[in-house]
Amino acid sequence: MLSLLGGIFMGWSLGANDASNIFGTAVASRMIKFWTAAILASLFVILGALISGQAGIETLQGLTSFDLPQAIIASVAAALSVSIMTLMGWPVSSSQAVVGAILGIGILNSQINVSGLGKVLICWFTTPVGGAIITILLYRSIAFYYNRIPISLFSADRLLKIGFIFFGSYSAYALGANNVANVTAVFVGAGKLSVFQAALIGGLSIAFGILTFSRPVMETVGKKLVELDPFSALMVSISLGITIHIYTIIGVPVSSSQAIIGGVLGIGIIKGTNTVSMKTLKNIFLGWFLTPVVACVLAIIISFGSYLEYTGP
Amino acid sequence: MFRFFFKKESRVEELIYSYIENFQLIYGNFEKAVLCCIQQPLCEEFDFLKRQTHKYEAKADDIIDEINNLMYGKVLIPDSREDIMKLLLAIDKIPGHLEIVLSMLKYQHLVIPKEIIPETLDLVKISLSSCEALSKQVITLLKKGKGLRELMNKIDRYESHCDHIETELIQQVFNSEIDPFIKLQLKELIICMGDISDQADRVSKLVNILSLKRRV
Repeated sequence: MLSLLGGIFMGWSLGANDASNIFGTAVASRMIKFWTAAILASLFVILGALISGQAGIETLQGLTSFDLPQAIIASVAAALSVSIMTLMGWPVSSSQAVVGAILGIGILNSQINVSGLGKVLICWFTTPVGGAIITILLYRSIAFYYNRIPISLFSADRLLKIGFIFFGSYSAYALGANNVANVTAVFVGAGKLSVFQAALIGGLSIAFGILTFSRPVMETVGKKLVELDPFSALMVSISLGITIHIYTIIGVPVSSSQAIIGGVLGIGIIKGTNTVSMKTLKNIFLGWFLTPVVACVLAIIISFGSYLEYTGP
Repeated sequence: MFRFFFKKESRVEELIYSYIENFQLIYGNFEKAVLCCIQQPLCEEFDFLKRQTHKYEAKADDIIDEINNLMYGKVLIPDSREDIMKLLLAIDKIPGHLEIVLSMLKYQHLVIPKEIIPETLDLVKISLSSCEALSKQVITLLKKGKGLRELMNKIDRYESHCDHIETELIQQVFNSEIDPFIKLQLKELIICMGDISDQADRVSKLVNILSLKRRV
């Protein structure tokens, strides 16, 4: 169990941070109570991990081959890089941290699955772009009908609330399915866990993060998204679920934060306003570049460190 | 189907419609009171109708308080909360104007001179027509019905007409041989009556903005 601690910490931090992308808007604006959101998110993250998490786990474990110590090093390096970058206030993606750490191990082993890595890199690039495109398409098509259906202001309100709960749960399912690989895939690669065990432990640790530490993040990060009108916020939420789900089917873990920023950017394109500042965009690119590099370097340093022996005076 | 999960929302909805019904009662009662005052100034029936108007106005305040409390309980989505409260507070200024007019008639013992009665009646009737059109416009907004802009234009026309009558009435008052002190009191009364359609017009424009804001 001790050997899994790095992964469990990673899952906990992922749950604490990424739940805000799913239910942040609804909780920060008091449309949904925190505990309703946290319980729904936890439940659907676990379901997503168990039912659809297999593809991502297989992709990540296939990037290189590990033994158990290397799996532990990869998970610790990824968790450390996420923590360091969060403390430094830099944007961070756990998916990129894990891939960076696996790449570090792959460099040491001189064995990298280049085609798998290429697929992952393409998916990273297309996540925000995909988020933006899906949001634009959804907004245009749903708004067309929304403006025409003769429902009262109160029914429209209820519809939006139900939408937030339903699609928030769907996004949580997609997040669990997509990101569980970040938590425990390396241990499957090392033969320590079966895919089912990895999905269960990964799902539970993400849910633990949501239940124990997501409230402050949801309330602060959520408020940034509340500036969108409720309909736009719902479109971003649906788009987040669909975007992550598509990458889950492809089998590549992606960043939910980058998907949601893509969605907000899409709303900006529709409305002709700056919903995302240049600074945020620069931070995304910085995160794209820095996260895997930091995790890769840390994995290499920890690996070398693990070979050091005390020889005495 | 989901009404069970939205009890508080349903209560807010009921309260808003009951506020509008009450608003209709207030201006209906106000019209009777003014007519009564013109026919027989400061009679008992006028007193009764004034008290009734005050009672309905107080009920309107109670309804707004209850809606406000529910809103603080996080009913509805934030945008709707803000819009509905802004709208109700704007509408609520109209009963205030109506009560001021009745209070002026009662406490200042004002008697409307015969020569300005027809125009005063016109001013009251057109002002109250703007209130009637406004309550229709608010219901149309809540039910997402059609014809909001037409109602806004109608209220705008009423308001212009009222402004015109108001100016004529003030001129007539100052051209008459009435006591100068009474002239000033009548001028104040006419301006207060004119405020009714002015406020209805402001609310109507707000309704239009809220409707545009809700389009996605």
